[in-house]
Amino acid sequence: MSKVYKTAARPALDNVSVEMDKGEFVFLIGPSGSGKSTFLRLLLREEVPSKGRVYVSNFDVAKMSRRRVPRLRQSIGCVFQDFRLLSNKTVAENVAFALEVIGKPRNTIVKVVPEVLQLVGLDGKADRMPHELSGGEQQRVAIARAFVNRPLVLLADEPTGNLDPDTSQDIMLLLERINRTGTTVLMATHDHSIVDSMRRRVVELDHGRIIRDDARGVYGVGR
Amino acid sequence: MRTSFVFSEVVTGLRRNVTMTIAMILTTAISLFLLGLGLLVVRMVDKMQDNYQGKLEVSVLLTNDVSANDKDCTQQPCAGLRSQLETTSGVKTVVYENREKGFERFKRIFEAQPELVKLARPEAIPATFRVSLEEPERADVIVQAFNGKAGVKAVNDQGEFLARLFDVLNGARDGALGLAAFQALAALLLISNTIQVSAFTRRTEVGIMRLVGATRWYTQLPFLIEAVVAGIIGAIAGVLCLVGFKAVALDRVFGDLFNSGILPQVGMLDILVISPILLGVAIVISALTGYVTLRLYVRL
Repeated sequence: MSKVYKTAARPALDNVSVEMDKGEFVFLIGPSGSGKSTFLRLLLREEVPSKGRVYVSNFDVAKMSRRRVPRLRQSIGCVFQDFRLLSNKTVAENVAFALEVIGKPRNTIVKVVPEVLQLVGLDGKADRMPHELSGGEQQRVAIARAFVNRPLVLLADEPTGNLDPDTSQDIMLLLERINRTGTTVLMATHDHSIVDSMRRRVVELDHGRIIRDDARGVYGVGR
Repeated sequence: MRTSFVFSEVVTGLRRNVTMTIAMILTTAISLFLLGLGLLVVRMVDKMQDNYQGKLEVSVLLTNDVSANDKDCTQQPCAGLRSQLETTSGVKTVVYENREKGFERFKRIFEAQPELVKLARPEAIPATFRVSLEEPERADVIVQAFNGKAGVKAVNDQGEFLARLFDVLNGARDGALGLAAFQALAALLLISNTIQVSAFTRRTEVGIMRLVGATRWYTQLPFLIEAVVAGIIGAIAGVLCLVGFKAVALDRVFGDLFNSGILPQVGMLDILVISPILLGVAIVISALTGYVTLRLYVRL
């Protein structure tokens, strides 16, 4: 598929065709402006492709009605570089918020929030406020929130961009653990060392085109 | 839909924008108060029409010498006028009221103002034919036929007085409704603005809600309810203003007219009857404004 923004001279994504299987761990790399963010936004139906189709699981993302978009988004978890936590809510409330707003019953929320906090290694910090946590811990909260509804896909946009290398490693271990539960993880990143050390599938974008798709790649060719 | 969640969002929203919320409530209250006044006048005019319809009379006032000398209307020109009136088509009844009876009636009407009764002399009250008609609207036939006849001082059509009174009342009603419309416009813009500010201050929450797949209703409902709650509080304040206005202004200024039955009483019951209308208007307008604002200006 392709995506052309109205004001742009060249397409943000130009005839991109790629398939990712259920349970895969994929890095999406490329310089700024190469189309990584547009790619993620298309999956979330934040944007609609100018040409072509987008499928996520059984959802025909480009063609689905607006009414069904929430259902799509409920099966995709999102993590960002800037965490996007609600500063006036505790750790547990932040995670619970994601379930409350999609109408999950109270007793489910009470049960699953502690479980997911334990999974991300934050048990005992449920009542802390976000500003009391380190950056790595805040990102764990964000991951817990993205994962608490057990999505099919986890999209991570530069999740280690604000973290030091050691903390980044911990976050990657966590994403790997989540991947092992069967969740597909797609991570957009600039972080060479992480991509190189993980040896997972790498899809590289440049000027809106896919210039590389290696099954067990590294960040730079010939490095 | 988790109601507790939605309502806690609404309360935080209203608290966060407290100054805007108060402005919104006050404008809504004033607008609805004016609308309420207009509706009260409408009810008053309706009641008056009911009260007076059928009771409207044409009064043929007789000259001073007839009033003074012909107590039972047995002499000319009085007797002649009476038979002419009785034979005019469309006339239902003709009642002769001499000076003494007229004075009695005057005293009865102004019972509440003894000083006025004390000042009045029977000589100032003319003897009168009270003529009731099949169709009160056709009073001008009598007015034209009897004005200027010998023994006739004047012919008064009560309907004309009433029409003038209705004109004044209807003018007041139009004024109140016109002001209400302006004020409603201000309320509308404030509601719209408050929702935009509210949505902006909560953009992080709303962004997360969108992202985790909350439905449109779930994201919008807190904002809508916020507007509607402010509208309802405004309506209640507006109704309280009406009650206060009745007690402080209406009852003091028009109390005598109410008591003597010249103007129909504006009671608590009337306010009670129109308050659901005000409440309904508040809810519909705030909900509609909220909905349109969210659709047009706020990406949720």
